[in-house]
Amino acid sequence: MSRLQAEHLYKVFGRRPDEGVRKLESGSDRDELRADGTTAAVIDASFAVEPGQIFVVMGLSGSGKSTLLRMLNGLLEPTAGRVLFDGQDLTALSPGELRAVRSAKISMVFQHFALFPHRSVLENAGYGLEVQGVPRPERDRRAAEALELAGLAGWEKSWPDELSGGMQQRVGLARALATDADLLLMDESFSALDPLIRRDMQDQLLELQQRLKKTIVFITHDLNEAMRLGDRIAVMRDGRIVQLGTAEDILVTPANDYVASFTQDVDRSRVLTAGAIMADAEAAYGTRADNGKELRNAKDVLAAAPVTVRADTPIIDLFTPCSTSGVPVAVIDDEGELIGVVPRARLLAVIGEPMTPAETPPRSTGPEQAATKAVASA
Amino acid sequence: MPRLHLGDWVDSGVNWLQSHLSWLFDAISSLVTGMYDGIDAVLSSPAPLLFAGILAVVAWWLRGLSAGVLAFAGFALIDSIELWDDAMATLSLVLVATIVTLVIAIPLGVWASRSKTVSGITRPVLDFMQTMPAMVYLIPGVIFFGVGVVPGIIATIVFSLPPGVRMTELGIRQVDEELVEAAEAFGTTPRNTLVRVQLPLALPTIMAGINQVIMLGLSMVVIAGMVGGGGLGAAVYRAIGNVDVGLGFEAGISIVILAMYLDRMTGALSRQVSPLGRRALAKAKSLTGGPKIWNYRPQPAVALVGVVVLALVAGGMGMFGKAKSADASNASGVGQGKKVSIGYIPWDEGIASTFLWKEMLEQRGFEVETKQLEAGALYTGLAGGQVDFETDSWLPVTHAQYWKKYQSKLEDMGSWYGPTSLELSVPSYMKGIDSLEDLKGKSGQFKGRIIGIEPSAGMMGILKDKVLKDYGLEGEYKVVDGSTPGMLAELKRAYDKTEPIVTTLWSPHWAYSSYDLKKLKDPKGSWGKGDGVHTLARKGFSAENPQVGKWLKNFHMTEKQLTDLEARIQTTGKGKEQDAVRAWLGDNPGLADKWTPVAKAGKAASGERMAPQ
Repeated sequence: MSRLQAEHLYKVFGRRPDEGVRKLESGSDRDELRADGTTAAVIDASFAVEPGQIFVVMGLSGSGKSTLLRMLNGLLEPTAGRVLFDGQDLTALSPGELRAVRSAKISMVFQHFALFPHRSVLENAGYGLEVQGVPRPERDRRAAEALELAGLAGWEKSWPDELSGGMQQRVGLARALATDADLLLMDESFSALDPLIRRDMQDQLLELQQRLKKTIVFITHDLNEAMRLGDRIAVMRDGRIVQLGTAEDILVTPANDYVASFTQDVDRSRVLTAGAIMADAEAAYGTRADNGKELRNAKDVLAAAPVTVRADTPIIDLFTPCSTSGVPVAVIDDEGELIGVVPRARLLAVIGEPMTPAETPPRSTGPEQAATKAVASA
Repeated sequence: MPRLHLGDWVDSGVNWLQSHLSWLFDAISSLVTGMYDGIDAVLSSPAPLLFAGILAVVAWWLRGLSAGVLAFAGFALIDSIELWDDAMATLSLVLVATIVTLVIAIPLGVWASRSKTVSGITRPVLDFMQTMPAMVYLIPGVIFFGVGVVPGIIATIVFSLPPGVRMTELGIRQVDEELVEAAEAFGTTPRNTLVRVQLPLALPTIMAGINQVIMLGLSMVVIAGMVGGGGLGAAVYRAIGNVDVGLGFEAGISIVILAMYLDRMTGALSRQVSPLGRRALAKAKSLTGGPKIWNYRPQPAVALVGVVVLALVAGGMGMFGKAKSADASNASGVGQGKKVSIGYIPWDEGIASTFLWKEMLEQRGFEVETKQLEAGALYTGLAGGQVDFETDSWLPVTHAQYWKKYQSKLEDMGSWYGPTSLELSVPSYMKGIDSLEDLKGKSGQFKGRIIGIEPSAGMMGILKDKVLKDYGLEGEYKVVDGSTPGMLAELKRAYDKTEPIVTTLWSPHWAYSSYDLKKLKDPKGSWGKGDGVHTLARKGFSAENPQVGKWLKNFHMTEKQLTDLEARIQTTGKGKEQDAVRAWLGDNPGLADKWTPVAKAGKAASGERMAPQ
């Protein structure tokens, strides 16, 4: 069972929101609603998050991603649709029950940290436990543990305004971890940090996630961050989820130009994996090795390939081998069987422009067009 | 444009409220009076210097040694200019008003911060309350609550409520929304969000609001003094009425000392109670150098012990003091401790006769309370029964409007002095001007101005409608509306520089003994016949107190007696009126027995039967 499921969530602000939902369901778009004075923030959002997954919602400001996040823990009530958390319908709970769920099972980390300036670091980290009514000694112990997890041991007695931005957000993270909630909602949590610290925090989050196996919904406007962190990514535009998939899905087969234009700035070589761009093994059959020997089967390819890699190897690791040999890189599975090859030409092609989906005409011509077709046929 | 009778509607609305909700007003009145009496009893029971010590220790704790020393010096000054009791009464007034205001304002502000509707409704109401001149509230206040401290406190509350509400609302709205959201995201209940996040963070702003409430309250005490609020306000009001610059300054500086003390202490307190302020304070402290003793501040516990010790000493002394005064007041007589309340407007003949009656009635065993009031408040209070009688009504002319309005609720005890006269007067150095007729064609000398008094006064109406017309002075002279103190100050200024001046004046008046003035003759009799100075009592007073009623009806003073007494009071000094009366009665033996005859010992029993308790 999915830990968290969103089913046809709508959030419409303004007068008569229900009417707005009906109009949207019957095909009106956001601009038509805006003319009536209502704003559709989230339109028909559905997705499922599995336990232990990091689910990233990516979109520019105004795309409705923060609104979507706030419906997941009931800070905002959906205009229509349901949120299922461990099979429990959050939209059907009374305010009191909802608060109980929030305090015990769902934590949140905020963009501007939202630390309480009148509480020490330790008191901030222990806030969720205080709300739960955990007695002081235990609360302080668990808060201190959470601070240690977040890398802030020794700062318990400090005040939030004495810490740097990165450290403040560690307090925010510790506050979220202290309650042992299963679900972590992170609202652009690293966006306010400078790039180096942001990267540090991302690494630390991934490291923590290895150990703690939380279910995380992470909001960001930065696709690089989304791809780095996300097991699955939802791209939002104008209130709708326009694409839902893994980082590779989005890079390799962007759903539309909008998504594609995003992927331009992504460091593709670190996101794409050998498995995502490989061609069938047969593509190598009939070519010749560097020593002139013709490659007739999988065994020949494995023997001649400059390197053999797993399907999840990022393609950045393939460039050096490819530059030394004309033979494609071999991709193998856990058993060591050849499952595909990455020829040099394809490696070069995927680093360029994002690949447009097969049904839309490519925007440029030339070699890339060939590469696009090749991927599409793969 | 048709005339909208807005004023009439309000007037009849007030009357309706008075007759239908009097139980509510009585309840509010007794609650507020109870609070005031309680606080005043606590504040005025310790010896002044001890209490000044307590306040100084608090200042030392909150702001440091220099603040403590200055506070002690300030309060010692108030004590030495003999305004201590007034200052404590004012402090009680401000405290009660502040407490009630905060009890209303803070919840209202919290509510307004959470509801746009409430905020939208309260805003214009608060604007109305704050900008409507405070004097306007006083007369309905007196009608609803009677004269005394209550209308003053109510007016103060109405006046000082807006900043309390506004600053609370603002403070809470200013709290970062992300913080509120964070609290909610962790499952905090709305109540706890308020208590644990919003209020602590809004505290500095709310404390600034409380500070405003106290300051506005203090600025209202003068106005409260006009309706019997007592305290420093009454002293200021009396000083204005008598053009007494010295008393005005003394009372004024006492108000300033109180205001500065309260302002600095609430400011420091806000830093003490707010967690953020405490941190900033600790940081600043660690940075400052300088001599240690100057920065040393007692710990709260030490300060508390100090205050408690002083309070205990004060309490002990207060007890002794009380025991002594209980002995002293153990006098017996016809009154048997029955309470009588006399109201007066601070005019000389009013002060003289009021304190004369206070002294005589107290000699006869009554417990007498005097209230200094503004004229409108005095009549309203009399009609409402909060004042038993007053001795200074000029009838049938000058105070005719009040008599007309309230005569069904009043009892005329007759005139004890008369006739009085109304006139225009000029300094005697104005040669050739002896009669109203002489004014004609001389407006150039006087810049065309006749210096008048309050436009509501009866004589101003007569002057404008009749006197000027009869003597053909209309158009040539303009009557300047103002106030009695204003007129007297102008007279003094012009007299000192021997400038030409013509003023409205009346007899008896001390101005005639202070300055060499000429009453302008009135050959046409336009001013009418003189008034008598009447004693008015509330309806039913003489039936309940037949003995006092009889004394009042038979009371009469000659001009010599009145001017003698007034002069005696003038020389003895402000605040010692009763001492002056006592001395004067001592110099004139037999007068008291003549005015308040008591049946001799043998007939005492029948006398008491005549005065049922």
